[in-house]
Amino acid sequence: MKQSVLVLGAKGFIGSRVVKALAASDWAVPVAASRRALPPDSADQPDSLRLDENDVRQVRRAMEGVTSVVNCVLGSSATIRTSARVLFEVSRSMPRQPRIVHLSSMAVYGAAVGDVDETATPVGELSAYGSAKLESERLAAANPSVVILRPGIDYGPDGAQWSERIAQMLYARRLGDLGAAGDGYCNLVYIDDIVEAILRALRSPNLGGKIFNLASPDPPTWNEYFRDYAKALGAVPLARIGERTLQIESTIFAPSLKLVEIFLRRFGPRLARRMPQAIPPSLVRLFQQEIKLKVGLAEADLGLRWTPLEGGLRQTALWYNRSIGQAKSVDISGDDRVGN
Amino acid sequence: MLLESNEIPNEAALRCELCIVGAGAAGITIARKLIDRGLDVLLLEAGGLAPESATQDLYAGSVVDERLHSPPIRYRQRMFGGTTTIWGGRCVPFDEIDFEHRDYIPHSGWPIERSVLMPFYEDANRLCEAGDFSYRAAEEFGQPLPPMIAGFESANFTTDTLERFSCPTNFGRRYLRKLSNAPTLRVLLHANVTRIELNDSGEHVVQLIVRNLQGKRFSVTAKDFVLATGGLEVTRLLLANRDVHPCGIGNQHDVVGRYYMCHIAGTIGRIRIDGDLDRANHGYDISDEGVYCRRRLALREEVQRSQQLGNFIARLHHPRITDPAHRNAVLSLLYLAKFVIPYEYGKRLHGDDHATFRSWAGHLRNVVTGPFEAAEFAWQMLRDRKLAERKYPSVIIRSKANLYSLDFHAEQQPNPESRVSLSDETDALGMARLKVDWRYTTGDVDTVTRALALLAGDIRRSRVGSFDYDPATVEAEMTRYGAYGGHHIGTARMGSDPRSSVVNAGCRVHGIDNLYIAGSATFPTSSQANPTLTVVALALRLAAHLDGQVRR
Repeated sequence: MKQSVLVLGAKGFIGSRVVKALAASDWAVPVAASRRALPPDSADQPDSLRLDENDVRQVRRAMEGVTSVVNCVLGSSATIRTSARVLFEVSRSMPRQPRIVHLSSMAVYGAAVGDVDETATPVGELSAYGSAKLESERLAAANPSVVILRPGIDYGPDGAQWSERIAQMLYARRLGDLGAAGDGYCNLVYIDDIVEAILRALRSPNLGGKIFNLASPDPPTWNEYFRDYAKALGAVPLARIGERTLQIESTIFAPSLKLVEIFLRRFGPRLARRMPQAIPPSLVRLFQQEIKLKVGLAEADLGLRWTPLEGGLRQTALWYNRSIGQAKSVDISGDDRVGN
Repeated sequence: MLLESNEIPNEAALRCELCIVGAGAAGITIARKLIDRGLDVLLLEAGGLAPESATQDLYAGSVVDERLHSPPIRYRQRMFGGTTTIWGGRCVPFDEIDFEHRDYIPHSGWPIERSVLMPFYEDANRLCEAGDFSYRAAEEFGQPLPPMIAGFESANFTTDTLERFSCPTNFGRRYLRKLSNAPTLRVLLHANVTRIELNDSGEHVVQLIVRNLQGKRFSVTAKDFVLATGGLEVTRLLLANRDVHPCGIGNQHDVVGRYYMCHIAGTIGRIRIDGDLDRANHGYDISDEGVYCRRRLALREEVQRSQQLGNFIARLHHPRITDPAHRNAVLSLLYLAKFVIPYEYGKRLHGDDHATFRSWAGHLRNVVTGPFEAAEFAWQMLRDRKLAERKYPSVIIRSKANLYSLDFHAEQQPNPESRVSLSDETDALGMARLKVDWRYTTGDVDTVTRALALLAGDIRRSRVGSFDYDPATVEAEMTRYGAYGGHHIGTARMGSDPRSSVVNAGCRVHGIDNLYIAGSATFPTSSQANPTLTVVALALRLAAHLDGQVRR
């Protein structure tokens, strides 16, 4: 008998891929749930539903009869916290607790540097996103059937944050070789590898309570990522961006862009989306953070093998150049928003 | 961790596993390579994070013939980052032939082959921020470039080799954060090594004595020591320590400071390219990584062998700037701006021509009659050089008349009579100052003379134009500005025989088990290539060796 798997945040970058992978499998049936409108043809699909992940009753109803849940819910910090609380409370109240695969983030490590495994504690002040993710992990701890995955920088076709946005800025020559400001490690993980990790976490026994970092070993630096991605895209010659320029971007342009974006939202979200992407100080700090995720546990317990960077970037660049092109702006303000 | 020597207690005894002296291209490269290896490394830098005149004055010395060599205080910087704080950024690997023993080049031959260095060149290129290690135009650029000189065919020269340009990367600024954050590395500023103390048998360095200009004095003990202070300063440190070895460290056979080489360089003649202006493409091409690359006319290795010539390359160049007869507004603008251009780059603007009222007026006239040309150039220099992080490397003038001069850069032969020694003068720390006696040989003149003749013949036979020069002026032109500045090569040369070399193939000083030298001082020959890339590659090789050595 096939597993019934509820996928929360099913419209997002990761959630939509998980739904597809489950649907293509011979062992699971996905139930795609999202608070945003589902595609027009999904109304005919009994396994899709629209729900507010913050609503206990809706979540309880959706969880009835499912064997497992994949929590890919993203959005604001409040949404991340509340939806996690609701999910884990509902789960605990059920007579037979479903297995839950909970998507967290490497942002829970804060400003940690060096080799970081799953036992590492946060360093420094966490971002709002990182705090929300850490809190949701703590809520999950009371539930022994939860498997927590901490992806690094998720990239791949349809990835708004780390693929589409970066491609746009490489083409616009706002990113490139950042010199010393890009010496941090970019813990990339290809979307297919995240999906594979989720599928294996759903099927492997005795993983409840475990946490796994997800990232390709021996990560490139951000400079190397930008270089290789720009070459794959054809966004060359690569721009050399000085620290002064990056500082102006993050301290002057980023707040200004945000203010203009807030103003434009009054006239409709479409106009706001046409704004260029900002490079906030948090992103500049990330580009310098020399953190390397240790992923031995994911390799050992989940049996994961990683997509080589070259192949992943080739697929991502192909997708971007065919489907997005240089002109389109990116919307990362909704559910699909992915942190680091 | 970044420390100041003033923070160290007087007469303190610092300990570490590896002590690197000098934070320039070589020292920073070794330190950077070892920061993830868990070794306790101390990097001593004589200067601070910015230039300081009192510190820089420690580099002052004398030259025997001031027409032939710039003062030792020039073309090198005593500060964190070393001379990379002012370098031009040209990156070129040594050629295979440079490592060979050549009967026709006295004292030639390295104890290692190029293949030994190859695994390190790629990483060296990255550290220099010169992009991929790709030095063939055909490999680097997917689609064929327009020919450097349309129709030029030569059995003697190739136009396919590239020189690539670093930003130019100031190693100090670029890697300061990385080094400062490294948990097992200490960088100590204003730490001048004044003494290298050996054991009684003179086979082992026991400790270094370090001083600063404020009178602080302390010692450093380590398992291994690396001198990475540049080709001239290494000589001073070795020769100045005479208490155990009366002739200086590593100098039992009077080799330290000898075989001093720079490069033989100059600008000569008039090249006219026939036909349309686009038949000459002598400027920069930009790689996918945004790196400026430039093709040259390189003397083929087989021709060097058959003709018994040293290594040689040349580039199409603009006419001599100092003579306003070129009637070029851009060149005249550069001439008029020469007083704001740093000495190291402005030397050729000053030249040996005496400025007269007539020449000044001529330059002024050129600028006034070509204001748009001059303004466009000034804007390009502001945008692509002054404000750009990756700087446009040099002035490229496309001649409206298809007229050029030839800029050449040739190997200088190793010559024991060309030497650096100690003078009787001392600096503020009591160290003897240097005396530079740079000399070239008839072999050097011969290489340039015959290479130019081969090129002139090839241009003529190819029917692409003409190259006119006076062979009688070759020696005068190649010494017009003296030895090529900043390339301090061969003073502690590498070799297997202590009678003719200072360090072995692993860059360890002969007869001393824990003292290494990193830098161009160890090069037995000079190649046509600028030294920095090979300095970095050799430093990476030494770092790999030390990683295993210190852990033994």
